[in-house]
Amino acid sequence: MTKQYFGFSVLEQRSVNLDSEMPAELESLYQKEPSLRACIACGNCAAVCSAGHFAEMQFYRLNVMARRGLLHEMVGKAAACMLCGRCQMSCPRGVNIRHAVLMMSQL
Amino acid sequence: MTKQKVAIIGAGPAGLQSAVSLAELGYEVDLYEKKSRPGGHLAEWHVLFPDMQPAGELLDSLMQKVLAHPQIRLETGVNISGLEQAGKSWQLIQSDSVRGEADAVVLASGFKLFEASKKEEYGHGIYPAVISSAELETIFIREKEWPFEKTNKSPKIGLVHCVGSRDAKCGNLYCSKACCITAVKQAIELKKTFPASEVYCFYMDMRMFGLGYEELYHKAQLDYKVQFIRGRLSEASPSGAGRIQVKAEDTLMGRPLKLTLDMLVLMVGMTASVSPEVKENTVELKEYANKGEFVKIPGAVIGAAQWLKPGLFVAGACKGPATLPEVLNDARATALDLRNYLSGVL
Repeated sequence: MTKQYFGFSVLEQRSVNLDSEMPAELESLYQKEPSLRACIACGNCAAVCSAGHFAEMQFYRLNVMARRGLLHEMVGKAAACMLCGRCQMSCPRGVNIRHAVLMMSQL
Repeated sequence: MTKQKVAIIGAGPAGLQSAVSLAELGYEVDLYEKKSRPGGHLAEWHVLFPDMQPAGELLDSLMQKVLAHPQIRLETGVNISGLEQAGKSWQLIQSDSVRGEADAVVLASGFKLFEASKKEEYGHGIYPAVISSAELETIFIREKEWPFEKTNKSPKIGLVHCVGSRDAKCGNLYCSKACCITAVKQAIELKKTFPASEVYCFYMDMRMFGLGYEELYHKAQLDYKVQFIRGRLSEASPSGAGRIQVKAEDTLMGRPLKLTLDMLVLMVGMTASVSPEVKENTVELKEYANKGEFVKIPGAVIGAAQWLKPGLFVAGACKGPATLPEVLNDARATALDLRNYLSGVL
């Protein structure tokens, strides 16, 4: 691509590039758990998370990572989940989180 | 006794519904429209949220009632520039001459869409692939072509919320309230037209306030796979072959984001259309000139009559951003206030 000499620039190392091809596993993740698409990143799951007391576990962030195609980052973090299911009881969008996070960690 | 007469300024949804309600109450109605055709923005719209009813159907049913009623007289191409009180009645002024007279007036001049080119960083009017949400509606009703190649059946499309709304840089601090749900509706219609497309909505907040709106948003995510990204675009720049590169902060990731698109749709907000200047016996209907405000009705919240002065009523979106059902209900309520005024109750 030609270099642009105007406007705002984006730091390449940190940037999310949605032009790059999405990993094939992402579609299969959505097929295994379609309700993942309904997440609005409200954060309720993280606020009630029991694993969140001990480790960096924020389900909605895993989901955002998945949507941006950053599966490698996502899989590592999904392992902290203890599958207690508290998040699922509080999710306003009815996401089947326990199943979703299990599928994420097994990718 | 001759019938009492009401003049209505503007034949958009508010004016048309006011005309029907007032004629049904027994008044003679003179309905004036500035443009050559009635219907306002509704005449250039595709389908309506949240039920995807064709806008043309609603307009046709309103127009049929207007045209069928013997007490309604519709005149198009008439720009009423002011009003003068003469005793208890009102004179309607069109370029310094009296165009008509009425016992009461309804101002229903509606809203103007925000001029997308004022947000220069988005390049509307410079890059053909950047269009406004209103222009997308005209594409849907086939009055305009898609801004990308006809052979492209899997376009990447971005929709930017809050263009000209909630933006101190534009002088508009208010929320235009109908654009979020319009974006969801348009995203779904885009996916219906191009099932292989990728559609991204860039939002600040999703303001799904109406019944059926949140459900539609949910459906857009689950059934139509529309992607919602929280963050405002910093800019749109050309990326070769007529495409557009957009940059934004992905605020949920906390990282910058970039994306190349075939079409960028700017969800333009509503602005005032007319700024009435009220004097003792006259009201000047000035064209909104960037610094005007929506028509303010003192005490409107506590249920005061929807008027600027006794006999001069205001209906619809010229009072502020409103959805169609709100506008139609407001027109009916205004008709009732007006009846109470003319029958001496108010």
